[in-house]
Amino acid sequence: MNRGTTVPTVRGRHALVLLRDEPDIAVVRRQLDRLGMGVTVRRPGEAEADGAGIDLVFLDVDAAPEVGGGWSLGECAPIVAVVGTETPSRLKWMLDREPAAVLIKPLRSAGLYTAVVVALHQGQRRRETDARIEKLEGRVRSRRTVSSAIVRVMTRYGLTEPDAFALVRRAAMQRRTTLEHVCAEIAGDGELPLRAGVG
Amino acid sequence: MRISRKPSVSIGLLFSQAGPYQMMGTEMLKSAMLAISEINESDAFDFTLVPHVRDPKGVVENYHAACADLIRDPGVEHIIGCYTSASRKQVLPIIERTDRLLWYPARYEGFECSDNVIYVGAAPNHNVVPLVRYMLEHLADSAFCVGSNYIWTWESNRVIREIVSAAGGQIIAERMLDLGETSVAHIVDEIVARRPPVVFNTLVGQSSYLFMRAFHAAATRAGLAVPVLSCSLCEPELKLIGADASVGCITSSGYFASIDRPENHAFVARWKARYGADSSPSVDGQYSYVAVMLLARAIRRGGAADVASVRSAAGNLRYEAPQGAVWVDPGNNHCVATPRLARSVQGFRFEIFWEAAQPERADPYLSDLDLSALDRVPASSQRTATMRRPSYLRVVK
Repeated sequence: MNRGTTVPTVRGRHALVLLRDEPDIAVVRRQLDRLGMGVTVRRPGEAEADGAGIDLVFLDVDAAPEVGGGWSLGECAPIVAVVGTETPSRLKWMLDREPAAVLIKPLRSAGLYTAVVVALHQGQRRRETDARIEKLEGRVRSRRTVSSAIVRVMTRYGLTEPDAFALVRRAAMQRRTTLEHVCAEIAGDGELPLRAGVG
Repeated sequence: MRISRKPSVSIGLLFSQAGPYQMMGTEMLKSAMLAISEINESDAFDFTLVPHVRDPKGVVENYHAACADLIRDPGVEHIIGCYTSASRKQVLPIIERTDRLLWYPARYEGFECSDNVIYVGAAPNHNVVPLVRYMLEHLADSAFCVGSNYIWTWESNRVIREIVSAAGGQIIAERMLDLGETSVAHIVDEIVARRPPVVFNTLVGQSSYLFMRAFHAAATRAGLAVPVLSCSLCEPELKLIGADASVGCITSSGYFASIDRPENHAFVARWKARYGADSSPSVDGQYSYVAVMLLARAIRRGGAADVASVRSAAGNLRYEAPQGAVWVDPGNNHCVATPRLARSVQGFRFEIFWEAAQPERADPYLSDLDLSALDRVPASSQRTATMRRPSYLRVVK
């Protein structure tokens, strides 16, 4: 549980609506309009909308690319999957697109706000998680550099590992850069940090 | 002239008599009308059924309006109809919202269970599963799939792939044509070039007839004997395909006109008397007939025609149908029925070579499908060495 969770603002957000059936499109348009959201509708076979400025996508799971409907979706905003036929073949197609929320046809106004909120929230979470993973992966990648730099400092100054680490970390703080950056310099045969301040 | 004093019950019939599957829609309507006449002429029923027919002409979007029209005026409680799943999905919202009952006669791919639908036709465990199992045990462990590009094919192919993969086999290719598509040559060429041991055909309507004819001609030229498997082919379609091209297709179905039981002999005789000695009832037609019969019996049992009474009265109400004993399972609103396998022979008929020992419950979500219990066809080397070619295989000379 995360006490810091807030319900995302929906006003001003823009939805790309990739649905096939007119009654469903009408329901989405009306309800999102009430929520103060912008709507772009693309029916099967119509040219793709520019992904820029799109905050979430309503995607018809029944109108697969195979039926000439279909919309190619690359990296995109969070998806609200709209499901009619609950067969595993369609559900697999849906899962491959990693929906953030799901609605069951026939659509009605109730449930749409919840789906929008969940999708925006999940989208935000996914971006945060992706950023965090990227950062952690960077750290993992530089682990070998860090350890070889620490070993070099230990050998050069005859320090214990914690002391060598503290020295490098302090150098990074003084130079307002990252530990990984300093270590890359040391490992790359650069200057060793001054020993000053080490007890 | 005796004037009928019986009260009447209006029912809706929603069948397409135009469009890509007009032949099936017409067959279903004819069967439903036959059943209605029989009910109305019978002393065993103290009411008559008044049919109100709507024709959506095979256009999916028309189904909603036609259904809404039947519900508004004449205001029917019960609608018998729809052939494709796409059309059923169109009417489902309005049927559920207005709490009516749809009697759906066709086979379908499963994964649905509405309180407002009686599923009279076959569920996937009645239909595609026995056929794939048979293929694995007797024919081959790989297949080339060709089908119409909609949910029926997508889901059938998934089930086929799942079962075949579990048995260690493979799907050689999946090729699809849009509903009503008539250009089939490229698929026929590919099949002839790749020489699969089996072709699984889930094409519907015109595409299927054209495919069967073109494939028969090409296979004959190439000296190929590739059995075609189908879950939907029926007697009137064999006629449309033609004498030679329609022979040898291994078909899974709950009904064939050749079923040998008194109820079916009588049904076929009544059918021919009404629609001509040259004509033959079909599986979807028979299901439409059964739908009317089940509805009439449920009205009689419950003493009322409203949805709640009929739904409750229909549960476990056993009817000796042409297809065998059939009844609605109140747990899932699907019919308990007997699956069968047959091969098409000369004379536009099917020879039944397997049927389940007793009627089987529908398993719409395939929850009971045990993939680990599958037998696999012996490796092809062993097969040719030790097994005689089964007689049901079409040999193209």
